[in-house]
Amino acid sequence: MSHTITLTVPGDISYTRVASSSASQAAELFLLSIDKLEKKTEFCHAFELAISEAFANAVNNANDLTEPQPITIQFIRKGSTLTATVSDRNKPFSIETPMPDISTYPENGFGLMLIRNVMDCVSYSRKDNTNTIRMSKTAS
Amino acid sequence: MTITETTHSNIHLVALKGALDASTAATLAKNSVLSGNLPTVIDLSGVDFLDSSGLGALVGIARKKRAANSDTLLACLNTNVRKVFEITHAYRLFDIYDDPYTAAEELSKKISAL
Repeated sequence: MSHTITLTVPGDISYTRVASSSASQAAELFLLSIDKLEKKTEFCHAFELAISEAFANAVNNANDLTEPQPITIQFIRKGSTLTATVSDRNKPFSIETPMPDISTYPENGFGLMLIRNVMDCVSYSRKDNTNTIRMSKTAS
Repeated sequence: MTITETTHSNIHLVALKGALDASTAATLAKNSVLSGNLPTVIDLSGVDFLDSSGLGALVGIARKKRAANSDTLLACLNTNVRKVFEITHAYRLFDIYDDPYTAAEELSKKISAL
């Protein structure tokens, strides 16, 4: 059985914490049904961090010429896997960007590195002018 | 994000509290101690969440101070904050201490020895 939570958040950077805190709470709720997972705090933090990064990326990717577009966040629980999606109607982007150069250490560009590190599976799609980044993690 | 400034061993000690993310990172740049050139210890014991935007703000502060031959030390990273430092290798850029007072004393000694 699959359960879905859907949130629509204004596409404004000041709402970042609303998005990331919701992710942590969704993960915590999901874990109520999982008995054996030892690293529960780590699991919740993974979603908090991934959503914070994906939300900020969606906001920063907004088209400067239009009003900020709302960002839709979904949490989908299926079996022992929790999937989060972040969707926006801004410009297309790629998640195949090169990792930042650690030797010169830029002040930004680490968001995808963090998402990929804390999630099991990350994918991107664009359909009907909507970007969706999909991030999954299985409780095991 | 709240910012509290004190001094210890004549070193500026800046304690941050709250989430350090894209919505609060700009707040750090507006702080006079953090944006200035004085050597500083940043106490992260009250930071319960850090993302890449928050990390970028800390890196920017440290880089600016370093350009002015000044230091930025960090103290009290919790497990989640430390994890972000480990994934991004940011621990290479900072001296990190378990408590802010030891960090301030070490920084004070370093300055006295110059």
